[in-house]
Amino acid sequence: MRQLFAPGADAVLRLFIFAIIGGLFLAALVVGGVAHSTYVTQVGIAPEQPVPFSHKHHSGELGIDCRYCHTGVETTASAGLPPTQTCMTCHSQIWTGAPMLAPVRASFATNTPLHWVRVNRVPDYVYFNHAIHIAKGVGCTTCHGDIDGMQLTARANAFEMVWCLTCHRNPAPNLRPAGQVFNMHWQPPPDQAARGATLIRANHIRGAAALTDCSICHR
Amino acid sequence: MTHRAPIKLHPADDAALIARLRTRFPATADLAASPDRRQFLKVMAASLSLAGLAGCTDDDPRDQEVPPVNQAQGADPATRLHYASAALLDGFANGILVTTINGRPINIEGNPAHPWSRGGTDVFGQASILGLYDPDRSQIVQQYGRETSWEAFRAGIAGPFAQLRANGGRGLRLLTGPFTSPTLAAQIAALRSVFPDMHWHSHAAIGREALYASTERVFGRPLETILRIENARVIVALDGDFLDAGPHQVGTAKSWSAARKSAAAENRLLVTYSAGSVPNLTAAKADHAITASPTELILLAGAFLAAATHQPAPELPAHLAPWFKSAAGALTEARGAGIFQAGLFAAPEVLDTAHRINAALGNTSRTVVYTAPIAPQGDSHQSLAQAMQEGQVQTLVLLDTNPVYDAPENLDFAAALQKVPLKIHTGLYADETALRCDWHLPLAHPLESWSDARAPDGTVTVLQPCIAPLTSGRTAPEILSLLTEATPQSAFALVRQTWKLSDEDWQKAILEGFIPNTAAQPENPLPLVGKDGVGGPIVGKQPPTALTLAFRPDPTIWDGTHSNNAWLQELPKPLSKLVWENAIWISPGHATTHNIAQGDLVKITAGDKTLTGPAFLAPGQADDVISITLGYGRQIPNQLATGLGIDATTLRSTETPWHLPNITLTRTGETHILATTIAHTKLDAGAGTEIFIRTQPLGAEPIAAHQPTLYPGKQDDGRAWGMVIDLDSCIGCNACITACQSENNIAVVGRDQVIAGREMHWLRIEAETVPGTQGAGFMPVPCMNCEDAPCEIGCPVEATLHDHEGLNLMVYNRCIGTRACSGYCPYKVRRFNYFDYSAGAAPSLRQQRNPDVTVRAEGVMEKCTYCVQRIAQARIDADLSDGKIPDGTVRTACQSACPTDAITFGDMADPTSKVAKAKASARNYALLGELNTRPRTTYLARLAPGAEG
Repeated sequence: MRQLFAPGADAVLRLFIFAIIGGLFLAALVVGGVAHSTYVTQVGIAPEQPVPFSHKHHSGELGIDCRYCHTGVETTASAGLPPTQTCMTCHSQIWTGAPMLAPVRASFATNTPLHWVRVNRVPDYVYFNHAIHIAKGVGCTTCHGDIDGMQLTARANAFEMVWCLTCHRNPAPNLRPAGQVFNMHWQPPPDQAARGATLIRANHIRGAAALTDCSICHR
Repeated sequence: MTHRAPIKLHPADDAALIARLRTRFPATADLAASPDRRQFLKVMAASLSLAGLAGCTDDDPRDQEVPPVNQAQGADPATRLHYASAALLDGFANGILVTTINGRPINIEGNPAHPWSRGGTDVFGQASILGLYDPDRSQIVQQYGRETSWEAFRAGIAGPFAQLRANGGRGLRLLTGPFTSPTLAAQIAALRSVFPDMHWHSHAAIGREALYASTERVFGRPLETILRIENARVIVALDGDFLDAGPHQVGTAKSWSAARKSAAAENRLLVTYSAGSVPNLTAAKADHAITASPTELILLAGAFLAAATHQPAPELPAHLAPWFKSAAGALTEARGAGIFQAGLFAAPEVLDTAHRINAALGNTSRTVVYTAPIAPQGDSHQSLAQAMQEGQVQTLVLLDTNPVYDAPENLDFAAALQKVPLKIHTGLYADETALRCDWHLPLAHPLESWSDARAPDGTVTVLQPCIAPLTSGRTAPEILSLLTEATPQSAFALVRQTWKLSDEDWQKAILEGFIPNTAAQPENPLPLVGKDGVGGPIVGKQPPTALTLAFRPDPTIWDGTHSNNAWLQELPKPLSKLVWENAIWISPGHATTHNIAQGDLVKITAGDKTLTGPAFLAPGQADDVISITLGYGRQIPNQLATGLGIDATTLRSTETPWHLPNITLTRTGETHILATTIAHTKLDAGAGTEIFIRTQPLGAEPIAAHQPTLYPGKQDDGRAWGMVIDLDSCIGCNACITACQSENNIAVVGRDQVIAGREMHWLRIEAETVPGTQGAGFMPVPCMNCEDAPCEIGCPVEATLHDHEGLNLMVYNRCIGTRACSGYCPYKVRRFNYFDYSAGAAPSLRQQRNPDVTVRAEGVMEKCTYCVQRIAQARIDADLSDGKIPDGTVRTACQSACPTDAITFGDMADPTSKVAKAKASARNYALLGELNTRPRTTYLARLAPGAEG
């Protein structure tokens, strides 16, 4: 009786199987790669803003403290963006005719707010509170990166849940004494592990089990 | 600010639009075909008018951050500010605190400092926040139904009003809805001085004229009756309503529950006896309740009066005698410490007798206090209708009233209106009356106006706006000022000049929410002697076998003014649990003898008028009484309430506003599916023996038993949140449900989905009433936050799990919608989003949402979270200071809304907390405790009369 399958059919079948398995594996790699790529996370990409505000100039070169503009960071959940009034405290006196600042002046004159593009954003079901993080010793640059060096503001970290959990499980490496929270150039000292442990006790920070309760961030 | 007209869909466009939508969204074909078609169209229209699918394009509004241009100190957009104001029901004020964020009000809480409401709220106050953002509210002045402007209005009436000024106002009549505002009263007086021949009439669907007429008959002048329950030991209510919905509910219920708790602490019971023909909350909460027909109630009133004045008691029917003996004995023994109450809808004979009984027993000025009427009354609406019919009215101004819909049918207001040349209507909505008037002027909502109002005890609250006006509406005093003055004054100026307070006192009044020492002064009236009805036997006028139709205010819609509020429409009525419609209540006895089943369409015939509606079997109703609630059957096109329920006003007349005798009831043979939540969450009692609402006499042994368990104890990190609900205090008013809906962004699902069992309320109130004996009462059922939660076992993805403070958490982003948790839950407190219920809300309604609570999408489960957002905020605030959360800092929305303080919430691990002490009570027990779920929400059994009766 004649064979139904030619001798090469085995090879074809094996090729197909390996191709499908390989394809699935490749697809997983591609999807994973895309999901963590800057296309999705927007890390390092500075979106176009109504005014090309430079943190490097204001915070780095001029040394203006973060809290001059982001006033809610020590007391409320949202650090907030400055009202146009805050920009005009200086720019009504310096660079008063600069074309780059025309939208700011127009906003103030016509009482129309500026529409800034949000750089640091978490999903709506995540309820992040700045005040408690600042109070417990987490500094601005820990999450927002080297703002002092950013000519245009970009996101420094992907803010994926696993990234937040890494610190919530073990906060010690990221804690600073109160005076260093707004220090843009803080680096953890060599004995950070011990200092961190002391800060956890001093700031009454809960253990990892309680800090990773879902109700800490999700409501 | 631009004002856009609400989207109006004309009938001709409907069919074409539906066809287009069906091809684009085939899955919605069923929705379009349902009776909720109008709602569906409105939803789709609102969705289509938005900027497409947000999140799929680069124009997602959440990707932008827009700070203000000028930011005042302390007004940062993320902080909540609370403003004191008042919620109005028929003009009466209940003090509230309005929570605002980023310049818009989102939630209403009670005002604990207010002398009348003392922190409580009612459903109307809680739901008024939704009314503020209602897209169906009138936005702009209309003339003959066409949009115009205030300037055009002024120009248009300049001529007619100049003429009226010249002839002293002859032909000008003013009709106002119910109000208590002293500023408005002052403006009416100002109007009268400019137009001396003007007549002012008052109209209210649920009018207080009967109450004032009764005191006028008994005492010679109209008086307000206020109960001082804190001084009472016995209450007897005949057709009583002191715990039922109404302007008085919040303060009276608070006094009642406080008196009941303090009596229990002294080991005695504040006993309530109730006799009524229609079951209501007052009857349900009574310790001894019986059903009596209207004639029997009049007989009982006479018998009580005889007992109070030491006359021989008349003969009473056998089924009433034991109850009467007990009640009369208790009432007469508690001389000066008893209350005899007759409700708003009681027969005039019963109302009059109530005053005489209280006077005879020395209760006046101790437990029953009389003051001057709080609500100003003009001439009657009958006299206005008559004047209109006779052509005497040239100009009619209607302020915040809708007589075409809710005036008694015999007045035929619509026909009478046609005889008036110039008709000016003002109201929140372009309602049935507005459609027949020449001008319609939009009113400002109380939450966005400067105004004032008086609480039922007379205390004045100055209402302050919590948001800049959303429409071009104005307040009623502003409109009257527009009619009388060349330069109209602003609402603020008008209120400020009514109250000549120093700047400091004014600021204090605004801050605290009331003006101190403005409560009405008690008077000490004496009943007139020699008039009919003193002491003598009172005989009812109708033969006992005929059917009577009883009209009642609706406990969630009132008289129709709130019929466009979706929260109130979907709120299950306390006893019937009906939603989105009303029904004709008949007693089970009558239903059996006449072979009527629940839902059968029955026809009421009264003379030449008929009304057809679905039957509802009401345990505890008298066999010869049929009852129906007001507020349904609205006729205005394209609004939420259009076509819902049946209009009871078609049978109402001015002679018989509350009881219509000699009606007949016949079956039509058709049936109707009633939308009710009653059968949805029946807990399986097994052989029907379990009563979930336990009752316990004072001083009885503890009923909770400790169950052994194999599970290890839960590890808390020092805080253990728990809740205790006092079933003795809960009156079933539903304020907690509305507060929860407001705080937690709970969606409205519509009538069809409720029939399918998919209502989304996180909290439900179980009502168990036993006819003929003591009613078992009401039981609010939130999530129990069980320590050994079955739902946590059932969830395959751990979307519901426990945290270290004892909360059972619901993580929406993890939920994949298997609904296993709901299957495992024995209490059935979990709700599933079968559709994207929150998506179709109009843009203005989204302003009301609480930004601290996730708005749930399709396919996720949700449930009561013990207001985890409030707990989280309190925890953060504590961690920012000294780490301690004092008892009473965290108040769940339901706890904070409750007028009777039935709900206690707090940290059980703190032995000094109220909740820890409540859990140690002998009355504490867990619902379905034998299942060993160890719920954190437990109940205090309702107090039952003990051996002493």
